[in-house]
Amino acid sequence: MYFAAEVEQEKCKGCKLCIFSCPEPNAIIFKPAKKKVSIDPKRCKACGLCLEACKFLAVTITQVK
Amino acid sequence: MSVDIIKISPGFEEIMPEDYRDLVNNGSYGKGFSVSELGTFKELIEEHPLCAGCGLALSLRFILASLPDPEDTVIVGTTGCNSLAEAQVAIHNIHSIFGNQNAVATGLKRALEIRFPGRTKDVVVMAGDGGVGDIGLGTTMHSWLRGEKFTTIMFDNEAYANTGGQESGMSCEGTVLNMAPTGKKFPKIPLPEIARDAGCVYTAVVTPSNPKRLGKMVRQAILIARELGPSYIQIYCPCPTNYKFKPSESIKRAKEKEKDGSYPVREYFSPKAKEFVERLEKRVNETG
Ligand code: SF4
Ligand code: SF4
Repeated sequence: MYFAAEVEQEKCKGCKLCIFSCPEPNAIIFKPAKKKVSIDPKRCKACGLCLEACKFLAVTITQVK
Repeated sequence: MSVDIIKISPGFEEIMPEDYRDLVNNGSYGKGFSVSELGTFKELIEEHPLCAGCGLALSLRFILASLPDPEDTVIVGTTGCNSLAEAQVAIHNIHSIFGNQNAVATGLKRALEIRFPGRTKDVVVMAGDGGVGDIGLGTTMHSWLRGEKFTTIMFDNEAYANTGGQESGMSCEGTVLNMAPTGKKFPKIPLPEIARDAGCVYTAVVTPSNPKRLGKMVRQAILIARELGPSYIQIYCPCPTNYKFKPSESIKRAKEKEKDGSYPVREYFSPKAKEFVERLEKRVNETG
């Protein structure tokens, strides 16, 4: 069990601010077709920087089992 | 190195690890991506062991996405938090003995010029404040005084962070750390000004709070070093582990330090470097 960030797809505006705040490489991926981002929980250290950066409150940190 | 070298030999595609295949197919070699495109390509660094919220790890992502020619770049590192991450980087890199990085980079740059005449090879030192400002200050200063044509980047987390938190020359006066319990007794070394006076034709001080600004400075520093002489970039890298703040506050802390004047962002150009950058910008504007 560990913690990781997750993006609520409905709230995400695709501004990429989260990508520019994450110290982990290849953790937050921008999907051009949908113009939204998603987070790979295996690469996330749950630091919360993306959560602070997101102006649309699209990021939450949750428990991953 | 040609971009071909990172291609997988026919028949071996399936046995190569997924991350490697991803790097070959979606990596940034030869494509000239910049910081703005992060998140859309496979980055040149893989999972690393640095702490959650590490400002150094954040800066390293931006630097790697800003290299003008990653396939023709060699990184020279030395002991420190950064060396733990640099082993995960998909660019030629050398780990040198603590403090030797600028001496190693000097030999390497000169040897590459002989081995690959007519081809530009960028040597970029990436090391911590202990490596550059304390233990390696002698080799660093001498490479600047000799006018060696490569870039030195310091990740300044203002401490010896991976050995439990000792003060470094770059810690601010009065800083209390795990292993500096009575507070540091002398001021932060003014290394950017020392670099300028020792012959760096371009010096920049920055934080990772604005990725595009950092990216531009890195690119500029490398291009200037190719043509004119040594360049130096000092990046404030907030360290939540040793300075004991929440990992989610790293960027906020960088912004605060910029604002309150304790880490002013600044650039110094030699007259020739200024002229060079203006010419470059003019060319970019003309060609769009
Ligand atoms: S910062 Fe928020 S809105 Fe912007 S791309 Fe990231 S999750 Fe989406
Ligand atoms: S919580 Fe931290 S590590 Fe995880 S995706 Fe957000 S910024 Fe990256």
